[in-house]
Amino acid sequence: MVITLIVVVLLLVGLLFFTGGTVGLLRFPDFYSRLHPAGKLDGIGVLLVILGLSLYQLFPLTVASAVTGLKLMLIVVFVFLASPTATHAITDAGLRAGMEPWKKGDPWR
Amino acid sequence: MKILGLVIVALVGSVLIYATVDFPPFADPESPASLHVSPRYIEKSLDETAVPNVVTAVLADYRSFDTMFETTVIFAAGVACFLLLRIPRRRPPGPRHFRHRLTGLTFRVKDGENGKEIFLPLREFEPVDSVWTPHDFIIEKVCRYMIPFIQLFGLYVIAHGHHSPGGGFQGGVILGAAIILLSVSHNLRTALKRMREKTGALCSALGVFIFAGTGALCLALGYNYLDYRALAALLPGGPIMARSHGMLLVEIGVGVAVMGTMVWIFKNLASLGRYDEGL
Repeated sequence: MVITLIVVVLLLVGLLFFTGGTVGLLRFPDFYSRLHPAGKLDGIGVLLVILGLSLYQLFPLTVASAVTGLKLMLIVVFVFLASPTATHAITDAGLRAGMEPWKKGDPWR
Repeated sequence: MKILGLVIVALVGSVLIYATVDFPPFADPESPASLHVSPRYIEKSLDETAVPNVVTAVLADYRSFDTMFETTVIFAAGVACFLLLRIPRRRPPGPRHFRHRLTGLTFRVKDGENGKEIFLPLREFEPVDSVWTPHDFIIEKVCRYMIPFIQLFGLYVIAHGHHSPGGGFQGGVILGAAIILLSVSHNLRTALKRMREKTGALCSALGVFIFAGTGALCLALGYNYLDYRALAALLPGGPIMARSHGMLLVEIGVGVAVMGTMVWIFKNLASLGRYDEGL
């Protein structure tokens, strides 16, 4: 019962972060600042949601459920490796292509 | 000629559209497929093939001819890209670029007299692309560490297709994407060092060969083409397990073919058919 409550809270907070990321992706002024919510908030959202899911299936605790939880947490590890790298690569490509960052007072793009 | 082609296309198209009128309505529970075929697969496939995943059982056993020719289509797509794009000339005319490994200085080397190629010693210089951007350390390192895991996951998806979603096509795509990631994060030359053009083409053909060879093996053992029960003579576990093992063999073939074709097509596209430089 307590576990289910924790899982629900984790999932809800994770979804809140995902929502924030989506809103930021839609509302931020330019290319570089849009990558900020896309990378960061999705990262923490994935962490919380998958933590909740692996906690949910961990009980009753057996070897199989523990291994499944470990597999789920591996997803987080790889997202944490890949997501910042992808964001970095996109920013790098944008800078090399000569895209100017947005400054205060510029029109929205 | 163009008008004739258009007329033929329009005629065949209208005949096909006319034929669709006779189809049973979409998602009709009374249609023959829902009445006879699907319930049989759902009820009997586990007893007959020892494979829990019904989709894999249908794809690789009951309808394996279909899947075999799908693999052939993938192979044909690779060959078509090769024939359309590949330029046999070794390198484009014009100066080439070399980078000194230690200092990172880039040299532009023109051809010598009579158009002879001048090569700098490869121990100290490495050839670089003419539109060369310095490698990004973070991207390069992270991709280098991720690629083995991606490949491992691809193998898992191929081998675990009996029990979970997955199979040869998906696993092959993941394996191919790992090589493409190497090419994107480093450059085409690095990816070619790992997997030559010939290797990609051979993998593409080898996969189809494994699939068709499994079928021919069943034929040689006295059963129908692609009837995996014949493999019980070679593999342990009886005729039902032999069907499961036969599916695994076939899925491996599909995976190899898809991986080879993906890498082959990508390299042809990325280097504009020249295989000297690209992404």
